[in-house]
Amino acid sequence: MASTIALRPCGDFKTSYGSDQIVFPTRLSLGFCIFGIVALCFAPLVLGKYGLSLLVQIGYLGIAALGLNILVGFTGQISIGHAVFFGFGAFASAYFSNKLNVPVFFAIPLAGLATTAVGLVFGLPAARLKGLYLAIATLAAQFILQDFFARAGWFTGGVAGTAAKSFSIFGYDVAGDHQYFYVVLVYVVLMYLAATNLMRTRDGRALVAVRDHYLSAEMMGINLMKYRTMSFGLAAFYAGIGGALYAHYLGFVSVEGFDILFSIQFLAMVIIGGLGSIMGTLMGTTFMVLLPEVMGGLAKMLSGSAIDRMLSLSEGIVFLREMTIGAVIVLFLVFEPDGLAHRWRQIRAYWKLYPFSH
Amino acid sequence: MDVKRMMAGAVLAGGALLSLATTVVVAQGISIGHLADFSGPTADVGGPYGQGVADAIAHINKHGGVAGRKLEHETVDYSYQVPRAISTYKNWSGRVVAIQGWGTADTEALVGFVTKDKIPYFSASYAATLTDPAGGSKADKATPYNFFYGPSYSDAARGLVQWAADDWKKKGGQGKPKYVHMGANHPYPNSPKAAAEEYARELGFEVLPPIQFALTPGDYTAQCLTLRQSGAQYAYLGNTAGSNISILKACQTVGVQVQFLGNVWGMDENAMKAAGSAANNVVYPVRTSAIWTDKAPGMALMREISKMSDPGGTAYRASHYLAAVCATLYMKEAMEWAAANGGVTGENIRKGMYARQNWTPKGTEGVCKPSTWTAQDHRSLLQLDLYRAEVKDAPDAPIAELVAKGTIQMRRIATIDLLRKKEWLGW
Amino acid sequence: MDWTLLFQLLVSGLIVGALYGVVAMCFVLVYKASQVVNFAQGEFMLIGAWACWWLLLKFQLPFFAAFLITLAFMMAFGLILQVVVLKPLIGEPVISVIMVTIGLSIFFQALMKWLFGVSAQPFPPIFAEPSINVLGLQVKTVYAMSTLISIGIMISFAWFFKFSRMGLAMRATAFNQQVAQSLGISVRQVFALSWGISAMVSALAGVVVGVVNGVSPALSFFGIKVFPAVILGGLDSIVGAVVGGLVIGVLENLAHYADSQLLRWGNLYEIAPFYVLILILMIRPYGLFGTRDIERV
Repeated sequence: MASTIALRPCGDFKTSYGSDQIVFPTRLSLGFCIFGIVALCFAPLVLGKYGLSLLVQIGYLGIAALGLNILVGFTGQISIGHAVFFGFGAFASAYFSNKLNVPVFFAIPLAGLATTAVGLVFGLPAARLKGLYLAIATLAAQFILQDFFARAGWFTGGVAGTAAKSFSIFGYDVAGDHQYFYVVLVYVVLMYLAATNLMRTRDGRALVAVRDHYLSAEMMGINLMKYRTMSFGLAAFYAGIGGALYAHYLGFVSVEGFDILFSIQFLAMVIIGGLGSIMGTLMGTTFMVLLPEVMGGLAKMLSGSAIDRMLSLSEGIVFLREMTIGAVIVLFLVFEPDGLAHRWRQIRAYWKLYPFSH
Repeated sequence: MDVKRMMAGAVLAGGALLSLATTVVVAQGISIGHLADFSGPTADVGGPYGQGVADAIAHINKHGGVAGRKLEHETVDYSYQVPRAISTYKNWSGRVVAIQGWGTADTEALVGFVTKDKIPYFSASYAATLTDPAGGSKADKATPYNFFYGPSYSDAARGLVQWAADDWKKKGGQGKPKYVHMGANHPYPNSPKAAAEEYARELGFEVLPPIQFALTPGDYTAQCLTLRQSGAQYAYLGNTAGSNISILKACQTVGVQVQFLGNVWGMDENAMKAAGSAANNVVYPVRTSAIWTDKAPGMALMREISKMSDPGGTAYRASHYLAAVCATLYMKEAMEWAAANGGVTGENIRKGMYARQNWTPKGTEGVCKPSTWTAQDHRSLLQLDLYRAEVKDAPDAPIAELVAKGTIQMRRIATIDLLRKKEWLGW
Repeated sequence: MDWTLLFQLLVSGLIVGALYGVVAMCFVLVYKASQVVNFAQGEFMLIGAWACWWLLLKFQLPFFAAFLITLAFMMAFGLILQVVVLKPLIGEPVISVIMVTIGLSIFFQALMKWLFGVSAQPFPPIFAEPSINVLGLQVKTVYAMSTLISIGIMISFAWFFKFSRMGLAMRATAFNQQVAQSLGISVRQVFALSWGISAMVSALAGVVVGVVNGVSPALSFFGIKVFPAVILGGLDSIVGAVVGGLVIGVLENLAHYADSQLLRWGNLYEIAPFYVLILILMIRPYGLFGTRDIERV
């Protein structure tokens, strides 16, 4: 009785592996998902350019953040160098489509694979490290790859950066944000479904085992090195796809954009969204993308008002925005360390069980 | 799962933000965008420049606007983060007819967009790759909608090299003088490197391998020791003011005897105050014909514009402020031409920039240098003034006071006129 | 081979390395005592530098008075920070704590920019002689002062951890919190004190860097440079941190020497420490002096 319209049994009464593994436990949740995707298809008609650009940003950043969540949330590793994998994907896609004349449609997945290769190269030594040491090793990778981007003129265009062609499918040129939005939407749906599927397969469970208690996992025969390296590779793949989408959206990739601050933003997306939760990744990404915009809007609303004059905020408003971002990260982690996904589950549980408390 | 419910919520939030963040555009006004860095890594020079643009626009609006229409502008501080610049541009495109931009990051990122959308982009990035409107030169891309007021980084570097060659002859130096480029491996300092080194070789310098130091302040004793050991006589500092201060101080301690050549964003009154006597004798270019303390006919207008944000009239404005005002006024006069010749659209503003030769905006004589843009060549200015910084160590005081007391002095030592060589276009 | 240049680079490397060692020590102190990686170490330096600068300028105090007041302020600051922000995070996964310190660093960076502006500000001149001669190299007096103070701090840390009651309590807490608690050690006090001391000593390093280069928002990048030093020495060894700092300082300069004389790549000064870091992590993941985590599977 696992797929009634909206009611879930209070307890675990599943009788087959199949029912244990379904992604959408009730028809209603599947319905919401499909409805959401369809609603998004109409977004370009409703939203202006600004709103659309925000959604596209949430899209490609969300894909990259999902990769990081697989690495950090599901496998328990740490990576502070995610931005350079994102950048590598961007540069690779531009390189493939410019220099090797691969159609952009294929360049994006190819860039993902190229980034996977790089991720595996860094993953192999990293798989031996744990905790802090891993964090700092990825930090070093961040600086080294950033330096590489700046030096490798043949690949990245060095000083001047490199232009990326616009997306085209079999000769049909995708022009403008309205149409590119659908490309990004398709990729987001595909990648998120892939990740959800991964988590219910044997390999996904192995990753979780590695995170939760690696000694026991090893005793059970799970090869730690293999899964940790694979996790790095997967994270790099997602980052590469995200980066490639970013490159073809902007039409230009520059070395300056992939610094340590960007890596930190990815981490924030994943942690605020909720480690180990796929839906949480999207929520966290949305939060991090919308936060500076909301702060900017608030600042604009407040400028010229009484509060502004009282605290002489107008010069400081820009710094206030940064401070709020930092403060939000800190407060979130202090008060809701399991992230938005957890909070969402609590809210849902409250309504599901109302008026009972458990 | 409720992934998509959250996405729908995000859509709603995005829509709410859309209404929050967009400014209402009055049909009568002319909409322009202004990107500035007041809080990011280049804020120490971005602040004065951005203030100049904002004040100039306020002044224009106070005196009737452009052809009777006010300039509706939105100043966005993007903290030198490219994604923020891109999303701001997306918000603007379709509404604005021109943009006052800032640095290399946003300019390079938006080149393709502004060319496609035909929006003139006035940057404070003077990279030579932005000077070729038709394409086909070493610049590798056509940038018909990118304008800037001032000599390009490469041309400014060439001017300094030319001065260095003359200086060597005047000092009676024997043999080949040695030139070295010092800077970070980063688009901004690298921009003029190749061009300057080639010109130096042409003029008879021995060009030494470049010395690298980062864009952040730090300890650069090692680089100074290498510099001293290499025996160079002329060293070009390619970084921004923050790290130039560090290396000047380090080299002063180590005792390096070299003539430092600065760049437009690498040496200004603030940097002189922070570096103290270490900045003494640095030769650097200035984009305008006058600095704040000079008496020139155009300074009257500059002081009036400065009062828009400083009613007391006591603020000291750095050279970046003056250049920013010039850039804005050039845009304004091009818009006025466009208004009289078919309406204020991006394309007409561009044509307006080509309409005059050797022009200075009205009221700025003696400050903004005469500039010319043509449809084949966006190198507007090939003349630069070189100043020597004369700084003594002194107790801390506001810059205006230090300048008045003579602790910080900028002495003009040369005006270099560069040749408009075709092979130098774009690099 | 230019031996004079090489020797001078070595001396310069040792002097700057002593400074790296001081900051690395603070980092290790916090990690040893409370198992927290403090990514906001650079910001501590920045806050200390700005505080000292402000005291010197606003109140025209003599340098040593301003310096001591800054140290006291930073001690209080570290204590309060630990109590307010970090105590609730005891027991959370490492990544969350790292993220909190990163969030704090973002917060403080912006706060400092708001309060003190974005341009570099020079320190008022402090010493009568701006530079002195050390082994043939002209060195800034403030660096000489910092080297002496660094040595003093290292010695006092060594004494503190070996012979004083509080130091022993800290080491016990670092080893095993529960056992320490059962012996009557106030773990809360230990945590708070370790943060206070770390903030105080970082401020010292920050003031030195500020005197040399002027105070500017970019001063906090020093904090990132320290990571190779910390890893090299081992995350939980104070001696290792010092050694690591010295090694990194010398290494940077030697790499620059090799780069400028032989290889001519141009960027080794900045990047060499990170390559070495990766190498160390592959060969000796626990650094030169760190304790090996022994696992039996």
